[in-house]
Amino acid sequence: MKRWLVKTSRNPFVTFTSLVQPVIFFVLMAEVFGAVAGGALTNAVGADVSYVTYLTPAIVVQSALAAASISGIGLVIDMDSGMFEKTLASPMGRGAMFLGKVFSEVVRIVVQTAIILGCGAVLLYFETGDGPGTFLETGVAGFLGVLAITILFAGAFMSFSNIVALVTRDKEATILISNSLTFPLLFVSSAFLPLQVLPDWINTVATVNPITYGVDGVRAAVLGEDVMTVIDVTAFGGAWNAIVPAIAVLVVFNVVLGAIAVRLLHRASRAAVQ
Amino acid sequence: MQSQHAPSTSTGQPTDTAASTGSNDGGPAAIRAEDVHVTYADGTEAVSGVDLAVEPGECFGFLGPNGAGKSTTIQTLVSLLHPTAGSVSVHGHDVVEDAQAVREYVGYMPQETSVDPELTARENVRFSARIHGVPAAEREERVDELLDVVDLADVADDLAETFSGGMAKRLDAANALVHQPPVVFLDEPTTGLDPQARMELWDYFEAINDAGTTVFLTTQYLEEVDRLCDRIALLQDGEVVATDTPAALKAAVGGDVLEMSLAGVDDAEHSGSTGKRGATDRTDDPGPARGTELRDHAASVVRSANAFDDPTVERTDEGLAITASDVRTGVMELFVAFHDAGLTVTGVDVRSPTPDDVFLSLTGEAIDEGETETTAPGRESRHGAEEVTR
Repeated sequence: MKRWLVKTSRNPFVTFTSLVQPVIFFVLMAEVFGAVAGGALTNAVGADVSYVTYLTPAIVVQSALAAASISGIGLVIDMDSGMFEKTLASPMGRGAMFLGKVFSEVVRIVVQTAIILGCGAVLLYFETGDGPGTFLETGVAGFLGVLAITILFAGAFMSFSNIVALVTRDKEATILISNSLTFPLLFVSSAFLPLQVLPDWINTVATVNPITYGVDGVRAAVLGEDVMTVIDVTAFGGAWNAIVPAIAVLVVFNVVLGAIAVRLLHRASRAAVQ
Repeated sequence: MQSQHAPSTSTGQPTDTAASTGSNDGGPAAIRAEDVHVTYADGTEAVSGVDLAVEPGECFGFLGPNGAGKSTTIQTLVSLLHPTAGSVSVHGHDVVEDAQAVREYVGYMPQETSVDPELTARENVRFSARIHGVPAAEREERVDELLDVVDLADVADDLAETFSGGMAKRLDAANALVHQPPVVFLDEPTTGLDPQARMELWDYFEAINDAGTTVFLTTQYLEEVDRLCDRIALLQDGEVVATDTPAALKAAVGGDVLEMSLAGVDDAEHSGSTGKRGATDRTDDPGPARGTELRDHAASVVRSANAFDDPTVERTDEGLAITASDVRTGVMELFVAFHDAGLTVTGVDVRSPTPDDVFLSLTGEAIDEGETETTAPGRESRHGAEEVTR
């Protein structure tokens, strides 16, 4: 794990860019879409919610997505450089090998998420003069909830990225496939606009899109309201009506994709001839 | 946790040929392989029946051309590959059943340099120490000591990506040795290095071997293992064709090789073959009768000139290759004989034997299908000829 964190900090350009890029994206999206999103937003979640607040979960999820979808690249680089084989030849446990990598991504995503939430609060203050209490109505519990759902969400896409990496064993292919699949997925979800104003086919796709659940879960934790629109659950009350199904769906994605990734990793590292 | 050099079973004595029959003192061999086969999924049999018994403290060389199965064998020995058939054990631990124990005994330096370019030299060695379970208390001291030994102390905090090939190899050697394993596997450790770096690395391997570490290394060059290794196994097409001391193997080859190009041979070859068969000319092609004739004539001159002691004569594409212990001193005499016989020599090269030459002389079988003439059979190794099936 330490090696990956050191590597991350060793490359300030990439680290800086991966932190700043979502912020730039955030500001631009908030300003541009915020100008037209008002009506749709009022219909969906009520007039008291600013577009900045509405958009924050999408940006949190988007940057977690960006970080997670390049997770497999480290693996490919290690396979190229022989570090993968070297670690396999050491007495180090197989599980520890991969957990270390995953933990380093989690640390990165936590830092990113905290920065974006801070950024959102500042942006909201400039837009409306509201304090952080309005921005994150759910307080510390909401913040922890955001982190938990984001990490869970990232887990599914880390698995996906590692699956692509293990199948292709190629850096460029991993970046391309991960990005070209995940970026459009953002748009066919509830990330940027309420689903009510979007075409029917997007609504259909959004129902099976893990990003919808990541965004709705985080959004519910931020707003403290049931914002889930793709499936209607009323059993838990309030925000839990969105958070519980979101977590359930993300857990399923994690288990399925994680199992495939672990299986492929196992195959790549087992000693039997291939 | 194994943290000391060579366990107490190590004798450290130079092993004679008796050791090749297996452990003689009842202790487990450092490395033992029995009838190991490795077949890849695509059906390629990279290793087909390798037997090895390496004693603790021995330096064992694995010699063979590219594609002979050296790396596959070494990956089997360090538990990265399971043998398709047969068994491998390191210090009595089976690589399949007890891989974890094997990994604690071995240090492995892969053929491809494997350092993390985004880490400094110190961080690389520290990472290796961590994954090999070197106790935290000893780690820093061990890392400093090793960087000093491989002469990278000055650049310990530079990123590995700034290193030359030789420096990266030395760093990799430090990585493989940081946990002071009793058995070290080195897969072509000096490939791609300049002579200076090569010498330094050999000195270092010699030092750890003297300290009691079992060293198992592969190479394509006989002269590399000549100095360091107690015994050498010659690998060809996935099989061990001979196991012996370097001196015995060199004696079997019969000395250095003199390669000669003869005027007329090449021309005859091309005029005979380009017309109907394109660029694929072969020495046993019946077409270029003139070339064959020239070579036969030259071979008989070599025999009658008596310039060498016990020469072995082979036909090559350009002319002849002559192997003899006194090739370097007798070459002038041969040229005079050639001149008198009306043969013109257009090119000459004298070199040390390659694994191909060793293989050839041990088995009496040519690499090409072209016929080999042995004017006086060289001494053959005990293990040699009977094991070969090609």
